[in-house]
Amino acid sequence: MQILSKSKLNAALDLLSRQAELFVPLARGEESGYYPWKSYQAGSDQLMLDALNVMLPPKGVVFPQTERIYSFTGNDKGVEIKESFENHDPRIIFGIRACDTAALDCFDDVFLTMGYVDSLYAARRENTTIIAHACYRPGDNCFCAAMGIDPTEPTKADVIIRDTGDAYIWESKTDKGDKLTAALSSLLEDREAAAPEMQAFKHQVDYEGVAEKLKDMFEHSIWDELSQTCQTCGICTYVCPSCYCFDIQVKSWGDEGYRFRCYDSCMYPEYTQMAGGHNPRGDSRERFRNRFLHKLEFFKERYGKPLCTGCGRCIVACPAGIDITQIIKQIKEADTSAGA
Amino acid sequence: MPEHKCDCENPLVPGIVEVIDIKDETPDVKSFFVRSVDGGVPFNVMPGQLGMVSLMPVGEGMYSVSWQEEQEYLQFAIKRVGLMTDELHRIEVGQKLGVRGPYGNGFPVEECKGRDMLFIAGGIGLAPLRSFIKYCFKHRRDYGRIQIIYGSRSYNDLCFKDELFDKWPREQDTEVYTTIDNPEAAWDGHVGFVPAYLEEISPSPEGKIAVVCGPPIMIKFVLQSLEKMGYGDEQVISTLEMRMKCGIGKCGRCNVGSEYICLDGPVFTLAQLKKLPPEW
Repeated sequence: MQILSKSKLNAALDLLSRQAELFVPLARGEESGYYPWKSYQAGSDQLMLDALNVMLPPKGVVFPQTERIYSFTGNDKGVEIKESFENHDPRIIFGIRACDTAALDCFDDVFLTMGYVDSLYAARRENTTIIAHACYRPGDNCFCAAMGIDPTEPTKADVIIRDTGDAYIWESKTDKGDKLTAALSSLLEDREAAAPEMQAFKHQVDYEGVAEKLKDMFEHSIWDELSQTCQTCGICTYVCPSCYCFDIQVKSWGDEGYRFRCYDSCMYPEYTQMAGGHNPRGDSRERFRNRFLHKLEFFKERYGKPLCTGCGRCIVACPAGIDITQIIKQIKEADTSAGA
Repeated sequence: MPEHKCDCENPLVPGIVEVIDIKDETPDVKSFFVRSVDGGVPFNVMPGQLGMVSLMPVGEGMYSVSWQEEQEYLQFAIKRVGLMTDELHRIEVGQKLGVRGPYGNGFPVEECKGRDMLFIAGGIGLAPLRSFIKYCFKHRRDYGRIQIIYGSRSYNDLCFKDELFDKWPREQDTEVYTTIDNPEAAWDGHVGFVPAYLEEISPSPEGKIAVVCGPPIMIKFVLQSLEKMGYGDEQVISTLEMRMKCGIGKCGRCNVGSEYICLDGPVFTLAQLKKLPPEW
């Protein structure tokens, strides 16, 4: 098997960074997320390969927070589309965990299937190579296995690395992975090493049957109680690796401008506010309910999997202490007999 | 659902059309007739389908196409209710707009063939139904008796008056019923809300398909009235509206349950609506 010794990690990252824009998990000041390796500052940044989940998910690599769609000139005389944007730059995500690759799986379902291909996403996604990091020691808020994910076998990975202590086992899974493996050949050794033993999850969550049970719980009183502390700040959607909702907005100056898309959040009333005043999800309880039903029921109905991959980020980020695993638990325990 | 393969044309980029005519329908509804700058229509639509209209640099809005006249033009009847529509109402003939589409499933025009048709609309809700009504008249022999029940706040707010009071009542085997919410000196027609008027007329459900569009509250009451009158869930069709941005089932906001109005709708049978949360 192929092995990348940790002593050669920086050299490997330098080499990969010359192949493509390389994103790695870094702690940077108060924040942590996936940042370009070429922006790494040895003094202030810290490589976070051992951390279970940097705060910001890697979704921005394939789905940037803001992204231009097209530019135009326009006035009462005429309108012209000047440029339609598409980004084909090659990029690599290094060290992404199984929960986050599973979230990319959800993104692929949304952006690449069901009637239309989103060409902006498709171009980035096609040019992205994924080097995933298998997990063997689940963190305090991890519950990916409960959502149907094997943390040791990240899906959508082109390469999987497995931490053996002083080295990583390097397993290429696809043609894209083989290309990177060839590029790194001078740094890889061929020897045997054992992957670590999988440790037990600290957080026990039972999602079994929840999507089905929720079908009859739209009007259930549980939503009043569960949503009471939600401030609809939207941080859960921002840190979520699988939240993909976007807005389309315009930026203009004089007769010129461009249309762009940017992250949006179902937690905000403007999200569904219609001209004329009608808002089908005008109150916070309705928005809260829609978010959790989307995560736990609607997405599964449409795409066959939940839109939660058990990364636990929202549990840490929520200022009101709302915990999706507690919500799953309360749904499991809820009385759904008539009148409940 | 068909899987369209990407030829990597961006589906979010509009084509450019020219406004060839503008018609005042009511004090706050205007019809915009648009033709592609290359000639012809920017795309072909079926009744009930949607188009995303963009006025640069102001914004983009999703509107039902209220008629496609052959390869001549698309007509959008648009009510002035917000920032985008306020600006749209100020444009003049010759203005260039962006348009992308067609979006949504449209009305089941084939499945309705051979049936009597009952159209029930309130306010600007007639705009999407009009495309189906005109389609029925264009293919008159394919459809049975046609009844149209339409109400608005006032006489001034009734859309498409020339068709409503002149053209449509003269069509074969067709009845048009109009009502306004409050009495007016010059109005000698019916006064009252659409659901009550519907129950008064009480068209028999036999062999009939009812198509409903209007403000959400009107739709809800009309659906109840139709049920009371014995209409089955498969005999009732409605077209819904939600805020939309992408039009292609990706951006998230127009969901009702697991369905996206822009892609799976906007047209649903009552049987389908009953399976969805009542969140519209």
